[in-house]
Amino acid sequence: MAEKAILYDATRCTACRGCQVACKQWNENDEYIPTVQNGVQSKNTGSYENPPDLSPTTWLKMEFNEVEAGGKVRWLFTRRACMHCTDAGCVRVCPNGSLYHDALGFVAYNKDTCTGCGYCVDACPFNVPRYTRNLVSGIAKMDKCTFCTTPGLNRIAEGYEPACVKTCPPDALQFGDRAELVAIGTKRVNDLKAKGYPNAYLYGEKELGGLHVMYVLEDHPSLYGLPVNPRISTATMVWKDVLQPLGWAVGGLTLLGLGFNYLVARATIKKEKEEHNATRS
Amino acid sequence: MQQEVEMYRKPTRILHWMHMISFVILFLTGLTLFIPALGFLAQDSWARLIHRIAAVVFIVAPLIYIPLNWKSTIAGLKLAFTWGADDIGWLKAAPRYYFLGDEKAMPPQGRMNTGQKMWWLIVLVFGAIFALTGLIMWFGKTSASPAVLQGMVLLHDIAFIVSGSMLFVHIYLALIHPMMTEAWKSIYKGKVSAHYAKSHYGKWYEEIAKTKE
Repeated sequence: MAEKAILYDATRCTACRGCQVACKQWNENDEYIPTVQNGVQSKNTGSYENPPDLSPTTWLKMEFNEVEAGGKVRWLFTRRACMHCTDAGCVRVCPNGSLYHDALGFVAYNKDTCTGCGYCVDACPFNVPRYTRNLVSGIAKMDKCTFCTTPGLNRIAEGYEPACVKTCPPDALQFGDRAELVAIGTKRVNDLKAKGYPNAYLYGEKELGGLHVMYVLEDHPSLYGLPVNPRISTATMVWKDVLQPLGWAVGGLTLLGLGFNYLVARATIKKEKEEHNATRS
Repeated sequence: MQQEVEMYRKPTRILHWMHMISFVILFLTGLTLFIPALGFLAQDSWARLIHRIAAVVFIVAPLIYIPLNWKSTIAGLKLAFTWGADDIGWLKAAPRYYFLGDEKAMPPQGRMNTGQKMWWLIVLVFGAIFALTGLIMWFGKTSASPAVLQGMVLLHDIAFIVSGSMLFVHIYLALIHPMMTEAWKSIYKGKVSAHYAKSHYGKWYEEIAKTKE
């Protein structure tokens, strides 16, 4: 099946936060639930931005970046949610494959098998996964945007677009085949450049092997608070690709060596005893 | 009855078993994250909960032991860091000794032989690394930076590979190797026969024989 994606056009976004609401509504994520550990409570900080952070029950959040340039304030909006990377740090470190890529290219996860280790939280270059976690017992579960493919709430499988896209009034969010959206985004970026935005950029076309959530930006990604060149950290690479195989090798060779030692030692020591007994008698 | 000598006092043996049991539990629950095929055992955080309970025993047991057994603690630490010519001799003689039972080239050993001292050093150094990195991951998960936390995972896992593999050697030598006939007795009952002490810990046996006189 063709890879699907979301295209977010920041230049069309009015930051109405309808997507935030639709996301919560469809995925049955209530606003701050005091019983959920690490839940983030909404609070008025003098900005339209609210709640303050992503949380296990807030998978999508609009950000309002205020950038000063030439005596003018620019209000640059960004969408914070899982970017569904092709080269996904979280998938690389998930110890038991609870995080994986599905057929459409999304980073899906099986919440039932999640061990709660939280390695994905530290491996994500976009700082997206959040988990409920009891500090004392360590019991935890990860949550993040599922691209509306949560079992039982799977809009994509039913042929619908994700809830955030469905609700977006100015059509700043589009859903479709990734290749088509790249073409649309590229065209839009070129139009913006022609209109006097020389730094216009299609974010996510190439980053991390291609993201499945791409942004049309009118200026440099850093102004939007996005990592300019998101990278998978060395520690993320090393854990599964080097350290684990090394551990199996060292542990396995040790056991083999001990088995070999046992066979040799038993045989020679038995022989010695027999000889010893023979010389005695 | 054959004469016996005490190798490990009761508090030391209790500490050994507390540490052994907690470490094996820590090892097995950690293994569920290290071998993807075992990952299903870790789901719903049960391995995490058990890992934490064992970790508390692993850290608290020595903390209780140390002030109550100050002399043994100092003596034990001294032992770990006292190395000499006989240790080189042990290293040279070890292959023939452990494979072929050839005792001729093996220099008489002290309270612990060189192999045991190496394991004891691993326990001390990696035990501290385990505790420190583990506590940071446990209580610093939301405050420490992702890079620090990932570094802690790597250190914890390197310690796991080294001490886990050496744990196999430790258990093998204590229970299975055909020459270590009374190693189990020394840590279970605390005493070994004078004959065993003489042949395995010659230097130490002479010392205690002298003090007895």
